[in-house]
Amino acid sequence: MKIKTEIITFSEELILESGENLDSFKLIVETYGELNASKTNAILLCHAFSGNHHAAGKNDESVTGWWDQIVGPKKAIDTEKYYVVCCNNIGGCSGSTGPLEINPASNKPYGKDFPQVSVVDWVKTQKMLMDKLKIPYWHLVTGGSLGGMQALEWSIAYPKSIKKAGIFAAAASSSTQNIALNEVARESIRKDQNFFDGNYYEHGVSPKSGLKTARMLGHITYLSEELMDMRFGRRFQDEESKVDQKVNFEVENYLQYKGEKFSESFDANSYILMTKAMDSYVAGKDQGLNNVMKNVEAQLLIIGFYSDWLYPPERGKEIQLAAMDNDVNSSYVVLEGDHGHDSFLFDSKKYSKIIKKFIES
Amino acid sequence: MTIKLSKIINDWVTDESKIIDFGCGDGSLLKELMDTKNVLGYGVEISDSKIQKCITNGVPVIKQDIDKGIDEFKSSNFDLSIMARSIQCLKNPNLALNDMLKLSKRCVVTLPNLGYWRCRISLISGAMPVTPELPSSWYETENIHLCTIRDFESLCESEGIKIKDKVFLNKNGNQSRFVSINPNLMAVEGVYLLEK
Repeated sequence: MKIKTEIITFSEELILESGENLDSFKLIVETYGELNASKTNAILLCHAFSGNHHAAGKNDESVTGWWDQIVGPKKAIDTEKYYVVCCNNIGGCSGSTGPLEINPASNKPYGKDFPQVSVVDWVKTQKMLMDKLKIPYWHLVTGGSLGGMQALEWSIAYPKSIKKAGIFAAAASSSTQNIALNEVARESIRKDQNFFDGNYYEHGVSPKSGLKTARMLGHITYLSEELMDMRFGRRFQDEESKVDQKVNFEVENYLQYKGEKFSESFDANSYILMTKAMDSYVAGKDQGLNNVMKNVEAQLLIIGFYSDWLYPPERGKEIQLAAMDNDVNSSYVVLEGDHGHDSFLFDSKKYSKIIKKFIES
Repeated sequence: MTIKLSKIINDWVTDESKIIDFGCGDGSLLKELMDTKNVLGYGVEISDSKIQKCITNGVPVIKQDIDKGIDEFKSSNFDLSIMARSIQCLKNPNLALNDMLKLSKRCVVTLPNLGYWRCRISLISGAMPVTPELPSSWYETENIHLCTIRDFESLCESEGIKIKDKVFLNKNGNQSRFVSINPNLMAVEGVYLLEK
């Protein structure tokens, strides 16, 4: 599979939903496959809150992309047939403009001064990317979780530029419980003594411990109770592979390991920005979902998973009902999914087949 | 069979109307109506493999257990709801009928007739009927609420549901004058247009 990674600079001013602006910005973009001569085969993937532009295949550091089970040659999203594009969203920490990057105004990293970004902003920058790549429209925009929210927003904001939207394990807005869980995660970061109110870069440190706790909590919410039981049960971690001596159970070891790894690679300010963007998204804003659904021209495929308690299937159903009220061509499917909220990441016969049929129908 | 059904109910379906089909199977009835009458159709189905076929056919579909209620579709303003060969599979057929008539002014219901003479002969000989229309044995059938044409019509009457039109089909799925003489005995299937 041909993977191309590039950084694209946009030198025009970007006015954000918050009213703040960026004089210019850059996006790191990964593409797979080839755009056909008639430019009708482009697919945009939108990543979830801790994802990035690397969606499929192995990159130079041998890291497998976040949606590699679904995207690739002969897979559900077939890179032999489609030109697949994925970018790291602004505010992220994988190469697009975000808190880690140098603020041209101060010559220092933006840090906590990076403006609050939103789902609407991300979709706007993705539209600018589409225009820059000279793609007339997306055959499909899709993603799971926060990525699904972006796919929904695409169908509302740019109805002429998208034929199909795949909205997986997502909702038209976050629930109270979603916001509450995110706030606990953010609080653990803020209370880390190395956070320095977001200016930790200047001190040459990172609030790793807070970030680690945040991620450990996150992981619990991404998995289902059944999966945790099955995968770890009440088994004890064997002595040789313990991350440290405080650990007793396998599940503790898993969370410690995952949290530690994440805290080494993710930026705390990005964590706060991304979760805030997730919390504040409301499809249709003051107008309400039902009113903005009128504009949608894309075909929608909404998929939920029974084992997902973070963004349960009923939340997808709300989108489906609003779509039906407004005569939108929309399907709503619920699948078993063994992985809780994370189920959208994993291949299964039914899931892949439905995505494939939807793309081709 | 569904192509035939789309022909039978053809006059009952207004062009470009909004339709919901409960127990839509692979979506072929809706597909036919979408192609010939340009309707906006949504299917409701519980089986994942049938849902996959709907998506392959380009028919919008919703995964839902009809027994759990269909009230939530009320706000969609459907012109017509359809339930073909599914009502006998529901836990509460009477409630479902009334619910359908809350979603749309008119509804089409089709059902297998347990009063069909072959079924009667089977029962007289002491066994539950197994026919091409009712192919499963009693222990594995989904048809938990089978009824005769007469049973169904008296349910409609007691629920205050008006039968606006009806068609009776023989074993080949065709209308015939012969069947209409005594549908409760001769019809394999009844097709109804109902209004509240």
